[in-house]
Amino acid sequence: MLKTITEWILVLVVFGFSALFGNWLGYGVLPWEAVPGMLLLVAVSVIGLVLEKIIPVNIPAVGYIGLIAIAISLPMFPGSALFVEWTEKISILALATPILAYAGISIGSNWADFKKLGFRSVIVAFAVFLGTFLGSALIAEVILRWQGII
Amino acid sequence: MEKKDLLTVLKDWRLHGVVFILVCITEAIGQFSISLGPGVILLLPMLYAFFIGLGLYFTPMINEKNSKNAEPLIVLGVTLLIAKIGFTIGPQIEAIIAAGPALLLQELGNLGTIFLALPLAVWLGFKREAVGMTHSIAREPNVGLIVNKFGFESPEGRGVMAIYIFGTVFGAAFLGLISGLLATATPLHPLSFAMASGVGSGSMMAAASGSLIAAFPEMEDQIVAFAGASNLLSLSTGLYVSIFIGLPLTEKLYEIMTRRKDKKDRLKEEGGKPNA
Repeated sequence: MLKTITEWILVLVVFGFSALFGNWLGYGVLPWEAVPGMLLLVAVSVIGLVLEKIIPVNIPAVGYIGLIAIAISLPMFPGSALFVEWTEKISILALATPILAYAGISIGSNWADFKKLGFRSVIVAFAVFLGTFLGSALIAEVILRWQGII
Repeated sequence: MEKKDLLTVLKDWRLHGVVFILVCITEAIGQFSISLGPGVILLLPMLYAFFIGLGLYFTPMINEKNSKNAEPLIVLGVTLLIAKIGFTIGPQIEAIIAAGPALLLQELGNLGTIFLALPLAVWLGFKREAVGMTHSIAREPNVGLIVNKFGFESPEGRGVMAIYIFGTVFGAAFLGLISGLLATATPLHPLSFAMASGVGSGSMMAAASGSLIAAFPEMEDQIVAFAGASNLLSLSTGLYVSIFIGLPLTEKLYEIMTRRKDKKDRLKEEGGKPNA
């Protein structure tokens, strides 16, 4: 277990290193200014990954991670202002770029499967993704307007 | 994830080096926007990184092993993303609770995919494959559901796998491109699209909400919080919406549509007078 945790931390740090440089070049935050926030994100992620392993309920790690991060950044939680200040230094786009870089590289190995999809399947796939996105946006729009939020 | 695997992944310095360089170059280039009619297509560093990464797979720089090693990095990278989103949601918890009804009900918007894509799939000539293809956006839980119910080798199984593969390869890029375009070209509010971005996949949500942030930077925190909250809801409720509403609805509609189509075909065969 301890070995797995160390490996998780190291992999997350490697990922975080790329993200910190992207955050600097793309969003103008010096890497060392964003280090505390990145370490906090790594810590919360590792706690979530550990909880997934030790709690015998079928909840994915991201579920725990989201809830922990929300809980400790609630205004009522002691020290939350500091946590929020640290993590604010990291742009969400700076985290998304390395994810999609790894995704692009990883997906190359699915390319053979993708090429087998016919033209018709791709058209249907466009409609599938467009349908979900537009359907949700339309319902959200109606209710947010009705509530007077937007 | 096996222990040994993660250590090999960690030591794949070629992979991490390539990604580091990709991130630095693409972030330094920055974003561009292209006007398209009334809307804007946003080209973001993450999209360049994705397509260059994909392209590198076909060069000697990246081999099959590097490509396989990249997979756990996506999973772990997404955990950082989800943590970051959590820290954006916490301070705005009151706004999220106020928007609770919209957040909950827009989950049903995922059924929009059935109404838009199923008729199209049937029209394009798909048979039972159409049910697997259009009952949801075919992320892992939904592949599990279909395979469980119909089997992997069934037409439904083939259908869900087709959309799964498309989503894996192009889902994030596709949603990133259309979310910026739709949010700038339609009168719908960016926050409605922020909620719609939470489709239940971290990378897709990041791409879709990322484009929204680039188009409406003054709403960044709200967009992230709404997209993230919606994504958490999708992750926890999505499968059940599919089991109890999505899949039964798709099957019912498929039956109705194919019955009508069969009737028309029969009439055509019988006398060539479908309007008689």
